[in-house]
Amino acid sequence: MALSNNNSKRAVLGTGVLALAGLASMPLHAQDAEQIIKDRCLACHTVSGDAEAPSFSRISQQRKTPEGWLMTLNRMTHLRGLELAAGEKRALVQYLSDTQGLAPEEAAPYRYLLEQDTNRVESGIEPALAETCSRCHSAARFSLQRRTEQEWKYLVDFHMGQFPTTELHSLARDREWYKIASTETAAELGQRFPLITQEWNNWQQAVKTDLMGRWRITGFVPGKGEFDAWMSAVKTSDNHYDVTLDGHYADGTLLSGAGKATVYTGYEWRASLTIDGVKMRQVMAADKKANRLEGRMFLAAEREIGGEVSGVRDQNMAALVAVQPSYLRAGESAELTLIGQYLKGDIDLGEGVVVEKILSRADDRITLIAKATGSEGLRTPRVGTAADNAGLAVYSELARVEVLPANAVSRIGGAGGKMEKVRAAYRAVGYSAGADGKPGTDDDLRLGYMPASWSIKPADEVAAHDKDEQYAGSINAAGIFTPGDAGPNPERKMSANNVGRLTVVATVADSSAKVEGEGSMLVSVPDFVRRVLD
Amino acid sequence: MKLNKLFKSAGLVGSLALGSVLSAVAPAAMADQEYLLTVTRPNQLHVIDMETNKVARTCDIPGDFGSGIMSVHPDGTHVFILGHNWEDVYGFDIRTCEVTFHAAQSTPTLQVKSYQSLAVSADGKELYTVQNPTRKHRDRFEVLEPRLAVFNIADGMGAEPVRTFPVDRRITKIVATETGEVVLGGADLKAINPQTGETRIVTKLANWERGPQWLPPDAFAMHSQGNQSNEYIMPYSTAKFTDDTMNFETAEWWWGMARVDLETGKVERREIFPFEFIIFNFVSDPRNNDILYGSFNTLSKHDISQQKTLAVKEMPHTYYTINISGDGETLYVGGTSSDISIHDSETLDKIGSIQLTGDMSTADMRVATIKD
Repeated sequence: MALSNNNSKRAVLGTGVLALAGLASMPLHAQDAEQIIKDRCLACHTVSGDAEAPSFSRISQQRKTPEGWLMTLNRMTHLRGLELAAGEKRALVQYLSDTQGLAPEEAAPYRYLLEQDTNRVESGIEPALAETCSRCHSAARFSLQRRTEQEWKYLVDFHMGQFPTTELHSLARDREWYKIASTETAAELGQRFPLITQEWNNWQQAVKTDLMGRWRITGFVPGKGEFDAWMSAVKTSDNHYDVTLDGHYADGTLLSGAGKATVYTGYEWRASLTIDGVKMRQVMAADKKANRLEGRMFLAAEREIGGEVSGVRDQNMAALVAVQPSYLRAGESAELTLIGQYLKGDIDLGEGVVVEKILSRADDRITLIAKATGSEGLRTPRVGTAADNAGLAVYSELARVEVLPANAVSRIGGAGGKMEKVRAAYRAVGYSAGADGKPGTDDDLRLGYMPASWSIKPADEVAAHDKDEQYAGSINAAGIFTPGDAGPNPERKMSANNVGRLTVVATVADSSAKVEGEGSMLVSVPDFVRRVLD
Repeated sequence: MKLNKLFKSAGLVGSLALGSVLSAVAPAAMADQEYLLTVTRPNQLHVIDMETNKVARTCDIPGDFGSGIMSVHPDGTHVFILGHNWEDVYGFDIRTCEVTFHAAQSTPTLQVKSYQSLAVSADGKELYTVQNPTRKHRDRFEVLEPRLAVFNIADGMGAEPVRTFPVDRRITKIVATETGEVVLGGADLKAINPQTGETRIVTKLANWERGPQWLPPDAFAMHSQGNQSNEYIMPYSTAKFTDDTMNFETAEWWWGMARVDLETGKVERREIFPFEFIIFNFVSDPRNNDILYGSFNTLSKHDISQQKTLAVKEMPHTYYTINISGDGETLYVGGTSSDISIHDSETLDKIGSIQLTGDMSTADMRVATIKD
């Protein structure tokens, strides 16, 4: 009862402070966020420790990504009756991921999940954790969290309380699941992903540079193609930026957008932009010197539809950021675009590569016709003092095409149902055979993304018999796969939904030859639970 | 009873004229009246007259749906249903829809779930559940040990356990034997004395000792359909390897079962026929318990004395569960969706259908026999 009285007093005070902060657009201080926790969370959580460094039960023993904390707050709101104003929620995600986040090195191996790039098969997962945890979750989901061993154990108990049949699932009922999960697994997670790490201690002490300024951006948008742009970030308050983006797609179409970005944990860039009328999101990480941004940009409404994006900060220094395309067939003349900043001086595309004609030249973008001779291999193009270390691949023959993603899941939807279709976006990567002349070996030379024509076929005899290629969906010229409609289809066996197993085929023209690559597509049922992180 | 039946048949003439289906289903004159019981969404108990295959009455179940598992009182007049998100037990008089029993297992600070584990004692006096409690602390869950809870059926509304005994985790379906034990379907098949809490191994499953050439079985079942043969079947799937290397490619895959005779409490555990497709539930023929029927995406018939599948019929959708008339002639295939498909047990031919008002989902389909 005493606690309740305290809470109500604090609630009044807290709201006043927050409203003032909002009006004055003042930066959020740690005390403000701590006050929100005290006001909103202590009906259930307890506080201990001194007033200077309070410790909140179940909260202070964890570290997570911004998305991880957002999920936690969502869960508290939906399942536990937490009431938070939108501003309070934003403030808590900021505060918790700044003070209890992941160091860059800790998040690095699992960035694909933050980037929502989930059409992949994870590898290298410890088998016991794979069986206990990633039979349902991505491995990145738990690998992006840090907890004390006791907290990991509480997480196991949460599963038993919230999803009581967990211990009866396949791969659980054949063992003493709860005993294993609450002892061995919790201990293993506590060892691998502990609360206290040197990386986090170092990152907390590191000087964080803000990300204000101009950035030379390159990336890919499914259906539109590769692009290059300038992005300007104007700081509006601590961790907040107004963002504009202007540039070209590879086919010359102009690109223009604007929006807002927030930086969490000193390096996690999250931006919402409207680009040519389409809402998009950027999830990028800044390097420790805050000179590079790397990540993914995707449709706000369809996170599966996106592509890589990266940026190099304008530091008044020459930089050659990319060559598009990244390959040149020996003996053939082709158009290349050199993208960078302060590109002055001589153009040198590497040994045996001749610039036949410069079509246009600006300090940030040079279009030219080039022709390669000589042996296969990566060249290092240079403009003046700037070099593109990613290189230009000179090759004689396309030997192999890799379809990315190699394994993808799409989901039927629409047709009046509650869930939209979940599409997938494909790209083709070309390789030459390398010195050994055999494709598929370690010395294959990666040429880069290549234009392809796209088709689908049934994955195997069973899929062919069920006519999956007729029902499960279609792929367009840009490599975007759209699954079929949701709901029972009386034309199919057992009125099955338009699910199916397909092979996605990319056909890439190379001189007069055509080279095919294949990817695997599972067209699955709608997923009615939308998680921030899968 | 025979007279009674005649009257009922006479009343049926109208519907018989509409379709010969029903005449084929109506069992030959029997001394007892059978009712098929099931639960559908949003939360109704349906009492189906198995003579006419018509819904005789529909009873509203309090609380939320789930799981719809049932245990029928030995006198056939009452059924107990696990409802309200697998937490509460409701007892119904199937003749009137009157709710005669209610046990709320959870409290605001203690969440108690039962995973299909519900049974009535052979003398009809006690009701058993396996409770899986989780303490809801203010900021965390605490997982507590499961327990067998014993209720007096006579306690009626607001019943509380009169005894509890610790049991293993992961227990699903349970059954009471005529010898006074409760069979616990968990990792291994055990039996507990509900007076003393003493347990014994009935037969080992997960911990069987058959050497490296047999894969430990996946034993799991949602429904208990053995009441027509007075038995309890816990099916399992396993693999027999050709050598000690556990090569799944060359392994033989088998269905097996642990079957308890409820009269004696004796068990047989054996492989029953090759695993060729998924079967969610089995029921044996009351006339010959070597004959088993199975349902899921198929309806199938098996002779386990020969370890053979005799017939397989593709179904138009998935049916989780199956039951059989007391004379063994008619199969009722239901669960999952909203229709019960009726089949001749000899040929597996479809001979009728019962359309219900909602999906059965995970619900049981049990037979209550009201004796003459």
